Amino acid sequence: MDKLTFPIVLTLEEIGASGARRFISHVELPVEGTYTVGAATDDSVPVSVAGISRGHLILEASADAIVLRERDGGTTNGTFFNGERVTAAALVPGSEVVLANVVALSIRGAGQDTATKIQEQPKQERQESGSRPSSGSSISDYIIVRPGAEERARGGDEFPGGLFAGEIVSTAALRQHEAYAGEVDFLALGGGIGNFVWVDHLRVYGVPISNIRVIGIDRICYKNYERYCLNSQIPRHERLRSNAISVPDNVWGFPGYASRESFNALFRGGKGSAGAIFEVFGEPTLAQSYTPMAGEVFKSLDKEMARIGWFDMFINGRILSMRKTDDGRYAVAYRLTREAAAANNGQREQIVIGRYIHIGTGYPATRFVEDLQNFRSANPSHRDYVINAYDPHDAVYDAIGRSGKPVTVMIRGRGIVASRVHQRLVAEHDRRNANLRIIHLMRSEKPYGDGAKFRRAKRPVFNDVEIQPFNWPKACWGGSLRADIERMAPEERAETFEILGGTTTAERSDWTEMIERGTREGWYVKYYGSIERLVPDESGKANLEVRVKTRSATTEYREIHADYIIDCTGLIGDVTRSPFLKDLVETYHLPRNNAAPHGEPARLTGISVTPDFEILGLQNGHGHVYAAGQITGGGPYAAVDSFLGLQYSALRSVDHLHTVRAPFVSSFGPLKSFGQWVRWCQGVAP
Amino acid sequence: MTPTLLGRWQTRLLLFLVLGLPLTFLYAWIYAGFDVFDIDTNFFLVLVVLFVVGFILDPVYIWLQGFRWDHDWPFAFQFFFSFIEFGIVLALIYFDVLWFLPSFLLSDFDGFLVILGHFLTVFIPSFLALLGFIQIFLVRWRFKAAELGRL
Repeated sequence: MDKLTFPIVLTLEEIGASGARRFISHVELPVEGTYTVGAATDDSVPVSVAGISRGHLILEASADAIVLRERDGGTTNGTFFNGERVTAAALVPGSEVVLANVVALSIRGAGQDTATKIQEQPKQERQESGSRPSSGSSISDYIIVRPGAEERARGGDEFPGGLFAGEIVSTAALRQHEAYAGEVDFLALGGGIGNFVWVDHLRVYGVPISNIRVIGIDRICYKNYERYCLNSQIPRHERLRSNAISVPDNVWGFPGYASRESFNALFRGGKGSAGAIFEVFGEPTLAQSYTPMAGEVFKSLDKEMARIGWFDMFINGRILSMRKTDDGRYAVAYRLTREAAAANNGQREQIVIGRYIHIGTGYPATRFVEDLQNFRSANPSHRDYVINAYDPHDAVYDAIGRSGKPVTVMIRGRGIVASRVHQRLVAEHDRRNANLRIIHLMRSEKPYGDGAKFRRAKRPVFNDVEIQPFNWPKACWGGSLRADIERMAPEERAETFEILGGTTTAERSDWTEMIERGTREGWYVKYYGSIERLVPDESGKANLEVRVKTRSATTEYREIHADYIIDCTGLIGDVTRSPFLKDLVETYHLPRNNAAPHGEPARLTGISVTPDFEILGLQNGHGHVYAAGQITGGGPYAAVDSFLGLQYSALRSVDHLHTVRAPFVSSFGPLKSFGQWVRWCQGVAP
Repeated sequence: MTPTLLGRWQTRLLLFLVLGLPLTFLYAWIYAGFDVFDIDTNFFLVLVVLFVVGFILDPVYIWLQGFRWDHDWPFAFQFFFSFIEFGIVLALIYFDVLWFLPSFLLSDFDGFLVILGHFLTVFIPSFLALLGFIQIFLVRWRFKAAELGRL
């Protein structure tokens, strides 16, 4: 028999009284392990169909087969395999098991292309619909498609289906289609901050509102960003790891957040520090690097969204797919949100044609590190104790604070998010639960003076973490390193990124203080090593038993009883996790950047773009497609994933639009620039 | 700031032409009692010497910048070294190194105050320009390592 390859995709269908089948969802089993199918929300595959009970079925997935077992004690309504009632069976491709006569579960055959039809529902939306904020995924992490009932009825999952089957679609055919919604010059896809900054540039360069459309899920451009901030413990009054002049609401970078903060504090009695401007003057030698408050950034974006007419350009919908048209443009298929469709006679599927496209779809998905994901699959009852720092997990802090009993939390990772999570835990320790113990697990020791070296410079190290004010050395944004990296060949670039990137945190005196105090008082402990084994704690001392393999002179194993693990090792952006991008990359064979240094196996990262952020493989006659943000990572510009990086990429691509003679895009010389700046100051439309 | 050598030179030249010369003229004109024909050309010579000293020191700054992990040049450094440059110019005058700028310009405290006033008249607006006003006109400057032109 053929071996199964992971991820294994299962299909769930509901069987109606008449025997008619209705598709429920595809389920992806990412790795070998034990999964449960049942009615409870903490089952790894929750199925809400009457007749299915909690923990109904246990699936043991291995490369040989998926072995099904009914839960201990059996189920009332039974499980059927090949028509016979069974309590255990092995599922192979082509076979099917029926649960309680109402749900059929089958495995997709080997070699079947599962990728093309699968639509991933972005994690954020799943989180929002959840009622269990502690785990952040009320719907299982494994379910990869859950279309709504009315979409199922219309075969909506397939849209735009055959219409977009080829590489090129005919404009004439599109105009005949019932989903045809119109044509526009400039089309921004995603609706996030990346799109916003691009549209902001277009507007100040001279493009009128009527020539621009933006498609996105959240009307507020920073909504998704703010969610990530909140999850990783940056509420509005906390400061972001960003620069004073990284101002996504202002094309010129002036006045920056520091001068605005000082001005407001001095003359308007606003929040913040009057000395902010002196921090910028003194940073980083005389003062800590200035960073703006999240809330101030969002407020400034609110103002600029209103000023440039963002809401008049905005279409509330989800982007599905894009194709080149036969007249040198692009067709974009999208599905309106329910509310937006209500104003459109209930018609949700739409196609719009544009000539200049900007893709700013952001992080395709937050991926959970494999070992913790495995634990959660194998131990559904303990899922809530193992947390990804980017998922909502405020309930955990609340539980820790309220319990008052001894609680041990393990933080894994040493980046900026680890610092934030640590800060939040210390706040709980100080305010509500003095019995909180923090164990900080880092991969290896980082002695003082052991920081990365690049040319003549060396990165400083403090408390085992490399210190850098921002996520790249400053000169990557607009200094010598920006130009150097742009000029480098791909291999050299990969090697440089390996040195300049890496995990770093910012130097903040309050963070230093909390580490020193915690160490002195004994409630903060550091370990170097990796998790060797993670199981539910049988001894009753805590929720989890962690065996850590320490890396010192000799390898040692250490058993740690922890109540929670918060993983801060990062947000993994993989463009193929976005069905929209995956389809583009595959249809047009778009090259991707490679993060692997010379001689190592390829590690593909972002979609390859020119220094003007154009995706060359998508060029179509006079049509051009640009991208921004993390999806272009590993290319000619390092700091794509930052406010200032988004400003840079917008500037480059809109300047490029001028050179290709896009309508209304001026050259934006000194006088036009000054004139527009004055309008910005006055708060009047560009 | 994260300038390159070329960026430093170009920006220095830009500030010299756009702010240095007009402000020097203004200062000298006021000093001459608003009589254009009575303007002291020594002010212009001081400005040129200041420019040349800075021009020569720029490679040194770039070399130092290379030791900084961020490859940046904080505003405080810029501020501090501007006064160093001014100090060097004063020393060149005081010790009669330059035949065209005799030391009698600094023969008394008043002479020093006049030169200091000139320096501050040029330096303060130039420094503010670096803090952000250049960007209002030249939107690409901050991404081009202080070099002029398009990206």
